[in-house]
Amino acid sequence: MSNIAGKAYAMSVITPIRWYMTWINKLFFWVAQKRKSTLKGLITLSLIHYARWVIIGRKQFPHLHPDQPKEDLHYSYMLFFSNFNGSWDQYVDSFTFSIPSGLDLFWKWNVRYPRSVPLTPFHEYIRYNQIETTHYYSAYPLASANDIKAAKKVRQALLDFDDRCSDVSPEEFMKQYKGLLRNLQNDLGDMRPTPIVSMSAQQVEKRRRRDVRKEKERLAVLQEERKHA
Amino acid sequence: MPDKSGNAYALTILSPIKDGHLDEVAYADIVRRRLDNWNLLENSPMARVPQTYLCRYFVLNDVFTQSLAGTDVYGTWFDFLSIFSDRARRRALPREDHLKSKYLVFSCNFHGDLDAYLRGMWLAIGNEIRHAWEFCYAFDQVRSDDDFVTYMKKCQLTASLFFVGSTDDPLEEQLKSLYLKQEFGKFVIEHQGLAAVELQQAWREFVARVEPANVKGPSWSPGQYRLRQETI
Repeated sequence: MSNIAGKAYAMSVITPIRWYMTWINKLFFWVAQKRKSTLKGLITLSLIHYARWVIIGRKQFPHLHPDQPKEDLHYSYMLFFSNFNGSWDQYVDSFTFSIPSGLDLFWKWNVRYPRSVPLTPFHEYIRYNQIETTHYYSAYPLASANDIKAAKKVRQALLDFDDRCSDVSPEEFMKQYKGLLRNLQNDLGDMRPTPIVSMSAQQVEKRRRRDVRKEKERLAVLQEERKHA
Repeated sequence: MPDKSGNAYALTILSPIKDGHLDEVAYADIVRRRLDNWNLLENSPMARVPQTYLCRYFVLNDVFTQSLAGTDVYGTWFDFLSIFSDRARRRALPREDHLKSKYLVFSCNFHGDLDAYLRGMWLAIGNEIRHAWEFCYAFDQVRSDDDFVTYMKKCQLTASLFFVGSTDDPLEEQLKSLYLKQEFGKFVIEHQGLAAVELQQAWREFVARVEPANVKGPSWSPGQYRLRQETI
């Protein structure tokens, strides 16, 4: 079980919402989806890879077979899935500090939502309604969302630079190269598997190192035996 | 289409799990254990599914009922009334909901079109999918990639809002860019203070090695969590 895949953390929250109020939430979300400028606050939280809100009507849980009992619920439910960088506290707190009113607008109609300020009741609310992830996968566990955005810029800059400067004089090359570094100076951070990829990945890595060591020892014994044979 | 933002797609799947037991273990617990076992592998099976950015699996056992004090506008009123009537106090509490089925939840962010993604997923890790979904209602009807696409669409929930804070480029491009960023950072450090002629020569060698335009060439592999791939 792990909410961590390298630099990414998986947050999954399910909260009840009065079924007769879901249309208001859906309206807010629709406006936010249509007018990206309304998500400006969210964009400033550059630690988010991807996030989504899903509202399940109380009669909309998937029903696939006559043998499956139909759900009989009082409330509709809102699912919130986020993939972000950093710790749980950093994320929840940055939400509170950056977009408290936006947060209240999205969760306002959810039962027992305490508002995003003050912090402690909000922490308790999220913790209470959060579900642990059993298996979490990231295609780039060594990278944060900012690394990915920076990498896109770096690649484009390198392609342009190579097109422009591969055949110029060495002096001109040097001048352009310095310009390239000035342009990319904020995008060249090193990526490493720190502080931890995940608890399970650490175990896998430990096991792999042990296997490599044993294999080397076995090969050394074999070579020794051959020498004496 | 709220599930899509640019070329990025947010897929949300809730597959109901049958209520039953195998060797005294509930089906939902077996599903959870099988998914948990993926954590012990060298890498996730999802690393083999083309265009997957990030994804998660868990079993939703039930919904939550939080009965701590909230900012319900009638809450205080009901609390006050509870001095006179216990019924009023109980009305102030949220009603308790319970699910009748447990659900396998699969939430995924990927690049491209849903049908193509699901087909690619079935072709890449069909055995793992059969293993994970074995105890879900109606999954016994799934025998091909077409069946899988149909089944998953029946389990799909539409997102109300999807936010992309990263990029929506194809995964190969993202990985190639990350590889280049890392390699170029090293190049800059290792070639400080060189004369222009030497630097230009080193640059040509660097470009020949990293092939910036070739997304299929030297790059990071999906799910790679080490900087160097050691071999036994």
